[in-house]
Amino acid sequence: MADVEETLKRIQSQKGVQGVIIVNSEGIPIKTTLDNTSTVQYAGLIQQLVLMARSTVRELDPQNDLTFLRVRSKKNEIMIYLT
Amino acid sequence: MSASTEKEKPSVSRTAVRRPSFQPNTRLGSSSRRSFSLERGSKVLHKSIIQSPKPAVRVFDEESNDVTPLPLCQANPGAAQTTASILFKDRVSADSASDQTTATESFSVPLSRSLLDSSRISSQSSLWLMNEEMEETSSKWNISSSFPDDRGKTEATKEEMEHMHKETKEFFLTETDNISLLNIPSTFLPLDADHPKASKKTRSKDKYVDGSSQTLHGTSKNKHVQSDGLFLVDAGIGVSTSIMYDDTELEERQDKPEPKPISVDFTLVDSDDGGSALSPLRSAERSMSTGSMTTAVSVSSSLKDIEICENTHKPDVELIRLSKKFQHSLLVVEKTILQSLLQPQLAVYRQLPSLKDWIVELEREEQRDAEISETPALEGLWAFSCELTRGFSVSSMAWNKKNPDLLAVGYGEFDSTNQRAGLVCCWSLKNPTWPERVVRCESAVTSLDFSATRPSHLAVGLFNGSIAIYDIQNTDSISLFLDSSKCPSRHLGPVWQLRWNQQEFGLPAEERLEVLISVGADGRIIKWVVCTGNLGHTELMKLKRTIYKNPDAKITESISQSLISSLIPALCLDFHPSEPGIYLTGTWEGLIHKCSCSNNQQYLDTYRKHYCAVNYVAWCPLSDDIFLSCSADCTIQLWTQNQHNPMLSFSTTRKVVHDIKWSPKWATVFAAVYDEQLEVWDLNLSCLSPVIVQPAPPGVRLASLLFASHTDCVVVGDSCGQVTVYHLRNLGVGGSKQVNILHDLLHSAASSTLKP
Repeated sequence: MADVEETLKRIQSQKGVQGVIIVNSEGIPIKTTLDNTSTVQYAGLIQQLVLMARSTVRELDPQNDLTFLRVRSKKNEIMIYLT
Repeated sequence: MSASTEKEKPSVSRTAVRRPSFQPNTRLGSSSRRSFSLERGSKVLHKSIIQSPKPAVRVFDEESNDVTPLPLCQANPGAAQTTASILFKDRVSADSASDQTTATESFSVPLSRSLLDSSRISSQSSLWLMNEEMEETSSKWNISSSFPDDRGKTEATKEEMEHMHKETKEFFLTETDNISLLNIPSTFLPLDADHPKASKKTRSKDKYVDGSSQTLHGTSKNKHVQSDGLFLVDAGIGVSTSIMYDDTELEERQDKPEPKPISVDFTLVDSDDGGSALSPLRSAERSMSTGSMTTAVSVSSSLKDIEICENTHKPDVELIRLSKKFQHSLLVVEKTILQSLLQPQLAVYRQLPSLKDWIVELEREEQRDAEISETPALEGLWAFSCELTRGFSVSSMAWNKKNPDLLAVGYGEFDSTNQRAGLVCCWSLKNPTWPERVVRCESAVTSLDFSATRPSHLAVGLFNGSIAIYDIQNTDSISLFLDSSKCPSRHLGPVWQLRWNQQEFGLPAEERLEVLISVGADGRIIKWVVCTGNLGHTELMKLKRTIYKNPDAKITESISQSLISSLIPALCLDFHPSEPGIYLTGTWEGLIHKCSCSNNQQYLDTYRKHYCAVNYVAWCPLSDDIFLSCSADCTIQLWTQNQHNPMLSFSTTRKVVHDIKWSPKWATVFAAVYDEQLEVWDLNLSCLSPVIVQPAPPGVRLASLLFASHTDCVVVGDSCGQVTVYHLRNLGVGGSKQVNILHDLLHSAASSTLKP
């Protein structure tokens, strides 16, 4: 348990990290380091993207599943890890 | 019977014509409806008919009245003769409802035609008229015979009739009932039959009667009922292969918990007792009215859902926190972040082209300008450090044999005044900010080595003389595999060097036994064998104090015998790369002994040059017979195996050389670590001075050195717990060339030294 907190802190303190959002299976953010509006916005948008990506992977091979998704843009990069 | 009659019918007409002449007494059977039969009386009629056309024939009654029957038609005798036949035929043909008759019709038509050939055409109409009349009175006539057309036969009948003339006879014409001999109703119906049932009726034996009845409807009563709102929920799912796969998987496992139904079950309450026509309308109305209700309800339900969700947040968070997967995911995220941050450095490490990364681009631009040169240079990449290791001093480092990205670093304080607990951290290249594994040891760590056969086993030598072997494969269970702390014959002093070595080179690699050789401050070299759960040990060597008799010295030491033969601490150990069982040890005295595993009494050879402790001894990995040694007397010596004197010696500063290592790639390159600087020597370029001198960061003493095996990097540990990775650039050419260069060098050196 303590490791999780520590790891989170370390991630947060890395250079270049803007924020960390933890979302539960229903898509509702449960922990965040950003402000509320951004969190909600991110969570909602990412949820759809993840659903689409996941269904794509599973369509191709039902035994496969999506684990990590990185969205790189001109200004930012969003890393989405799925458990 | 019918068939026979069928056949006989055409013949009947003929034979009927002839029969009165030949067979007067025959009986005919007919299958037609209109049955007709020959009777005996009829033949009389025949005769009468035969007689009638003849004017000579006269019938007289009792009163001698001429009651000769008048002919029915005024036709010719030939035609009259044929009338009966025609009539007969026509009667036959008049049976319209029988196929047989129709068959005969077909037959009779040609016959009639043939018969009529003789008759005049004009009489035909009269004949037909006669037919109609004859039909009515056919029963009366019962004529089944007709008259022959043949003249010959008429002659015969004339004769008979002449016979008959003589007798007066009375004729009584009576009607007989229709005698039906055989009546088989046909199974076929004409297409234009009106009522199929009509025919059926005649055949079916069911007797039924159509009747009508009236149902009584009770009086209806309206009743109003109010029910709760109906929830109509549309639920749909788009099916895809993944969903199908999921469902089949879950079914197979059969431990699928019942999903909460999203839709609320609803039932239409139809309280109308009667009037089925009304109820559908009502239900429609109701659903319409409740349709508007449902939207409101659904909104409220969704609100409720949100509330419920919020309530379940807390257990969710806890669950997530505790889950291992989440932990793992966090680590992965961390690694990816760091990888993207350190991408240029890592790319340099891996000798890959670095990507243009927006994060560090600005920083890199500054550095890029400064580093364009052809001279060998050292480039600092990154440093493994974290708060855990702060305050410790790096004592030893070792790369993992299987995973060259894994670095084990041993930390410990070497001030003998206070012995703090030591630390072992396993760092991965992917995460320079936090070690993968952390192991706390009871005392300072002095040496480390990874096993080759079991890559997850790490042998740690401690300051208190014990050796521990850890299995660092799993994160949460870094188990102490074996410990020699309770072993009675363990080292009594710090274990300065540990080495895993594979014995018995003769056998293939899998069967070689791997043993741990440890060098301790108590002067013993012990070979440890990992038995089942135990450490078995054998002593390889005891380093005794040797008495050096200088052959040149004139004074022999006479006090040699009184010296207590004690064991000298050995500080380092290195096995020969190719020869099995031969190893070098450097001692506190400054002597380097070459020993063999098989001989634990005597040294094979001794090399003397250093007059202080030999800190490190290293065989050249690329060339046999050459080894380097460094000592506290601030010199580095290059030896060949055969010579007792070093070939070359290097000394730059008046500082203790802590560590020295050969480069695994270039035979002429080695690096040495002093207190304050790192020196990289390239014998190809210069024998007198190092090629690269890298000063240590201020306030930090460098302690340990390690070359990276696959890349051109050097790892340096310092006294504040940091392990810095440097990249060597522009150093050396291909390996084999280097060896030759080295050999040449040594030859020249040897020749120079041999010169008096």
